[in-house]
Amino acid sequence: MTELKKYAAKVLEEAKKLGADYAQVTVSESEKREFNVDGGSFSLMRTLFNRDVSLTVLKDKRKGSVSMNRFGDAEAASLAKDAIDACLSGQPDDAWEYCAEPCEEEFVYGAPQCDTNKLFIRTKELLENINERYPKIIMEQMITDHTAAKVVYLNTNGVCYKTSKGKYDFSLMYSAHDGEKGTSFFGDGVSLKNLDRPVIEEALLDKELSQIQAQLDASPMDGKFVGTAVLTPGALGEIVLGTALYNFLSDGCLIDGTSIWKDKLGEKVADDRISISFEPMNETMVTGSRYTSEGFRAEDYEVIRDGKLNSFCLSRYAANKTGNKPASNDSSCVVMKAGDRSLDEIIAGIDKGIYVMRFSGGQPAPSGEFSGVAKNSFLIEHGRITRPLTETMISGNVADMLNDLVGISSETCVDGSSVLPYAAFGGVTISGK
Amino acid sequence: MLKDELKHCGAAFEKGLHTEVRGQVSRSRSAALLNGNLIANSRTESSGVSARVYKGGVYGFSSIAEYSKEAAERVLKAAHDNAVFMDSHVPAGKPDIKPLGKGEYLTDVNIVDAPQKVYIDFARQIDDYVAKHCPKLISRRIMAVEDSMEKLLKVSDGTDAHTALPRSYVYAMFTAATPAGQPVELFKAFGGEGTFENNFTDPAALYSDLDRLYENILKKADGVYAEAGMKTVVLGGFMTGMLSHEAVGHTVEADLVLGGSVAGKMLGKQVASPLVTLSDFAHEAFGKRAPLPVFVDDEGTSAEDVTLIKDGILVGYMNSRQTADHFHMAPAGNARAWSFSDEPLIRMRNTAVHPGASKLEDMIASIDDGYYLIDSGNGQADTTGEFMFGVTMGYEIKNGKLGRALLDTTISGVAFEMLKTVDMVGDTVEWSSSGYCGKKQPMPVGMGGPALRCKVMIGGR
Repeated sequence: MTELKKYAAKVLEEAKKLGADYAQVTVSESEKREFNVDGGSFSLMRTLFNRDVSLTVLKDKRKGSVSMNRFGDAEAASLAKDAIDACLSGQPDDAWEYCAEPCEEEFVYGAPQCDTNKLFIRTKELLENINERYPKIIMEQMITDHTAAKVVYLNTNGVCYKTSKGKYDFSLMYSAHDGEKGTSFFGDGVSLKNLDRPVIEEALLDKELSQIQAQLDASPMDGKFVGTAVLTPGALGEIVLGTALYNFLSDGCLIDGTSIWKDKLGEKVADDRISISFEPMNETMVTGSRYTSEGFRAEDYEVIRDGKLNSFCLSRYAANKTGNKPASNDSSCVVMKAGDRSLDEIIAGIDKGIYVMRFSGGQPAPSGEFSGVAKNSFLIEHGRITRPLTETMISGNVADMLNDLVGISSETCVDGSSVLPYAAFGGVTISGK
Repeated sequence: MLKDELKHCGAAFEKGLHTEVRGQVSRSRSAALLNGNLIANSRTESSGVSARVYKGGVYGFSSIAEYSKEAAERVLKAAHDNAVFMDSHVPAGKPDIKPLGKGEYLTDVNIVDAPQKVYIDFARQIDDYVAKHCPKLISRRIMAVEDSMEKLLKVSDGTDAHTALPRSYVYAMFTAATPAGQPVELFKAFGGEGTFENNFTDPAALYSDLDRLYENILKKADGVYAEAGMKTVVLGGFMTGMLSHEAVGHTVEADLVLGGSVAGKMLGKQVASPLVTLSDFAHEAFGKRAPLPVFVDDEGTSAEDVTLIKDGILVGYMNSRQTADHFHMAPAGNARAWSFSDEPLIRMRNTAVHPGASKLEDMIASIDDGYYLIDSGNGQADTTGEFMFGVTMGYEIKNGKLGRALLDTTISGVAFEMLKTVDMVGDTVEWSSSGYCGKKQPMPVGMGGPALRCKVMIGGR
């Protein structure tokens, strides 16, 4: 860490020598150990030694950013020169803003040390568990890894953050097969701080493997109806939260004024049972930075509180551009407040609908309208899941759905980068063949 | 150009084990303007060396962010140790990879790095033009970008290679409002293989294309929703390329075949109309240089074209050397790696349906009630061949003539069923190459094809 800090200071010095009014540098070193399974068999073991230095400078209110992974005296000087050249080619902009309160903090989180043998044993055990419990599942690809990183952030205003972090990641891509029958593929994953228990018990891995195997007899449905869509935590993040964040609350749509929520701060935008926040400090999170990309100490914040829009998800730059408040972190580690009914109780109250595990569609329109295939889905009839579906499309409007909430489950999925419940929304058009 | 630090590495290869060592530098440059504000102005570069060793059916791999002889020796040892670990803990007991004859390929592409000012000034001139000539837009984004990869590869058997692939683009994304005030978007990429300064010398050369994009978004803003259901459509060449890549190409990547893709059961069977022939081209297609040419892959295989569908019959897969041995096929140069720290994976190169004999105007004239679907913002497909593409630009066809423009919609279907409905194939191939294919790693790919008349499920509103 001392060497990284020394190098970061050297890069800053070079930028100052070239006349930077402000500079910030991030220097990192990381090691990754990874196992790959392809087509159900171990295929590869990787060990990666990476490092990176990235520099942002401001001169005459112009900004330039560069990064490289070569270190050395000449490289530090060349990096600074490239950054200054890049920024001088740009245009002045008063909106750039970086942390100006000197501080020095050190963070240690996650699993900074890798236990490679245990990673291998847990990987092998996961594969064996899947083969035993779900023999029709073919693991197209499974990647398990541990990444450890040391990171130093310095800026010319006297801010210094030193981070030592690490995490285990398990990522699975699989489908079920039986003779001529086969299902759509499904992806699942979890980030962990430790390997204390079998990985199949983490997040929703076991339940979702079982559900994919149950889809071998999927068939299309006839006709079209407007009904309720029950979204799994994964599909909820993909369809509803991703759209709301990107299309309604992010830098781009607020700077260019295309967000349909641009004038809704403090107003109701969702059912009052809905509260959504970004919580990198939440103790269940394995990912999430302790400071923002502009050097400010990160804090958890609420985007929607009891249905009212509490904050946009803006960087300092975009906040200054639009006259709004910046977000308190880089909008990672999403949490949606759980409800008070179980998933089974919610489904029991649905006359006709669809249970969606994955959505295959494009980025919804700026208006929130979306349309795509409900992958890995099941038909809900008269309060219960009746059969698996294929080739079924769903369409709707995310902004409308947030105000047409049927229920939020008391169960949540904790996967190391989010805490999300199941949620059911009305007014979704469900079309068969 | 990348200095050869690997020339003596062969001495460190263990006899009898297939071994690769690769030095690589990757660069990206980008400038982005949002309504005239420079919101991105960045340059990145990464370089390093990696090694991969095959033992008994499994690979060991290692990389380090340093490009030197010493670094190469270090990763060769780590990759070897990883291969030994895997072979001893999960022995697959498979034979060695079939050897290839030794060869050498040296690129003649020299990547000259332009200063950042070049990208910003060009983007600024384009933005100024759009701001002045497209007054009804409610938002505009202009990006000027270049990415490149240069690699030095030494292999224990096969072709040693020095390759370079730069590509550069200008992206324009326009937003306009419908009469009801709802925003609609349209996007276009200009450019292709080559450095930014080679591809873009005069902003005025793009003005007519920008004018057309503006006309199209205004028509789209006044557009209508497509009527949902199974329809006869003409897919434009861009959409055919998307279909070739996403819905067919991925299912015939041999690693996905082993992972359970639908194509595993279809080799030798009719999967498309006899009018359809589809290939993954290496470096030349239809008598011209392919959009993103590949001459040698990252396993040391000289690149050749792969015919995937011939006259409607599925005839081939895309392979790595390992899967080629498994399927008793010949590897053709599809194993490619994105960064120095990535291992080669089976990837497409330039995937396209071959042209037919029909004229686009005749194809449109032949439809009483259908759609002409031109552009897509995104596409996704399943290993079952089930696909979904967003349609960002299209028109009604009524009584053989183009009608109103369409608002955003989607099409979906199952590739090997939908391709059987193709009954007219256009005579002109349209290529695109600006995106990245996402698998475990990103990868630049080309995709293309002619217009196709076929039946497809359209999503409507």
